[in-house]
Amino acid sequence: MNPDMSKQEKRKKLLPVLVLLVLTLLLPVFLNEYPLMLCCTIFYYIIAVSGLDILFGYSGQISLGHAAFYAIGAYGSALLHNHLHLPIFVTMIIAACIATGVGALLAVPASKLVFHFLSLSTIAFGEIVYQLLVHSPGNITGDFKGINSTQMAFCGQPFSYRNYFFFALLMVIIFLLAKFFLVNSKTGRAFTAIRENSHAANGMGINVRRYKVMAFATSAFYMAFAGAMYMHLVGYVHPDTFQKKQSVLFLTMLLFGGTGTMFGPIIGVISVELLIESLRSLQEFQGFVYGILLLIVIVALPGGLYGGLRDIYAYCKRKLGKGDSGSEVSKNAENG
Amino acid sequence: MLKTDKVTIKFGGLTAVNEVSVHIKPNQITGLIGPNGAGKTTFFNCISGVYTPNSGKVMFQGKEIQGSKPYQINKLGITRTYQNINLFRKMTVQENVLVGMHSRLKSNYLTDMFHIPSQQREEKEAYAKAYEWLKFVGLEPYAKDQTGSLSYGKQRLLEIVRGLASDPKLILLDEPAAGMNSQEKLELDELLQRILKLGVTILMVEHDMKLVMNVCHEIYVLAEGKLLAHGTPEEVQNNPDVITAYLGGE
Repeated sequence: MNPDMSKQEKRKKLLPVLVLLVLTLLLPVFLNEYPLMLCCTIFYYIIAVSGLDILFGYSGQISLGHAAFYAIGAYGSALLHNHLHLPIFVTMIIAACIATGVGALLAVPASKLVFHFLSLSTIAFGEIVYQLLVHSPGNITGDFKGINSTQMAFCGQPFSYRNYFFFALLMVIIFLLAKFFLVNSKTGRAFTAIRENSHAANGMGINVRRYKVMAFATSAFYMAFAGAMYMHLVGYVHPDTFQKKQSVLFLTMLLFGGTGTMFGPIIGVISVELLIESLRSLQEFQGFVYGILLLIVIVALPGGLYGGLRDIYAYCKRKLGKGDSGSEVSKNAENG
Repeated sequence: MLKTDKVTIKFGGLTAVNEVSVHIKPNQITGLIGPNGAGKTTFFNCISGVYTPNSGKVMFQGKEIQGSKPYQINKLGITRTYQNINLFRKMTVQENVLVGMHSRLKSNYLTDMFHIPSQQREEKEAYAKAYEWLKFVGLEPYAKDQTGSLSYGKQRLLEIVRGLASDPKLILLDEPAAGMNSQEKLELDELLQRILKLGVTILMVEHDMKLVMNVCHEIYVLAEGKLLAHGTPEEVQNNPDVITAYLGGE
């Protein structure tokens, strides 16, 4: 957050977030098992897509292979838990750290690439990881059958969806807070500067390569942690989940919600996930739906759903003639 | 302060800069002029680390810096502006200056992510300092505006102040007056003097001869990649080679 903002301004921005949080906390009172599980899905997707946003929205590097990190998180955590019998939360963090290392290793050569060259190499990476899952050495990933692991538990009691809801919500808050601090700091400014003009960023003392690797590794951590959360929510994963279309789904959610913002990924995940859920019966047409959503964003909503809402809000505020100039409003919204 | 020794840069068969040796003295304004295509910007790119010279040395305060990366050279205390403006257009004006301060801020990835008190303090000071820098060029009313919305002349000023924010010892200005109106040029003249008072040495490429002859203490003339002449503005103005290069023919 902008440190030279007055207390009043800060409070004004914090209020909607708190209201949103209280409303979310009330959800388990009204919802039963199935919608609660959907909420949990939305929560770990929010972490995943927010991670992708750090990479794509802030530092301007595209990745079409992020399902690979999602897979590393899910399988890594499951394998560590099954074979080493470590507590689940610990295995989640270890798996995410492994993915971070892999992400950093991939980013060292990939940081030299831009645009379609980068997207091609990330597609290749995603494909490699998928092939390793289905033809694993010693069949440790269960190949085409997938892999089982235990669900999250506390003191021997397995989590109900209601318990998991609160755990996932806590994780969302932690990860979003970390993202918020990161993007509003020297590191975040360096990411954005690289996105805007990597040439000038280099000239201004930013080690472009190093920061690109950092962004990649950070997004891998977010992705993998989300993957591990998914694994221990359902207790079983199948390699089909980690194909290209999962990467495309993440990117669709991000673009549809709006890149380079705090709320964009949240709105994107909720809207796309609810849409997919309501079109369950038309599963063959999922790709079609993603295509339509992406087209809408590219043609009509360059800032995504969040950007569109922000513009409407700024427009209304201007029309009503109260408050300050439009640019001020849009900037404020961006910071929030 | 900055010395180059027979710096040569070749692009394929073309020699863009051919054995150019200059000596930039501290606390003065040195001009680098020459017709279009003389290799001025290439020479700048070579000092600031964008290109590595094929041969020759670049010495900054007694240290060889050729082959260093731009971000390393920025840390050593050389900053620059660009001929075609290279600002971070979707960031605010103040954020652009904050990016300029990048190499002087101590926080790192982890302190940023965990938002520890020392990082918060540093950020607060950095924002205040960035605001002071904007005041230095009179851009403080636009601090919160998107950079892309600034007028051309103001963007030039912002580029200069973004460079200054890294507390450099030497600033390279690539055509700072391009696209400025006559009023803005007068203000630029005065700004250059104030930059000098901060203890920052200036090396600039400029096509506006009136400005160059007015403010520069020393001038180097490049033509077709070679150093053609060097001296005070008067000496350069009266040098027959320079007149030939600019006006052509006998």
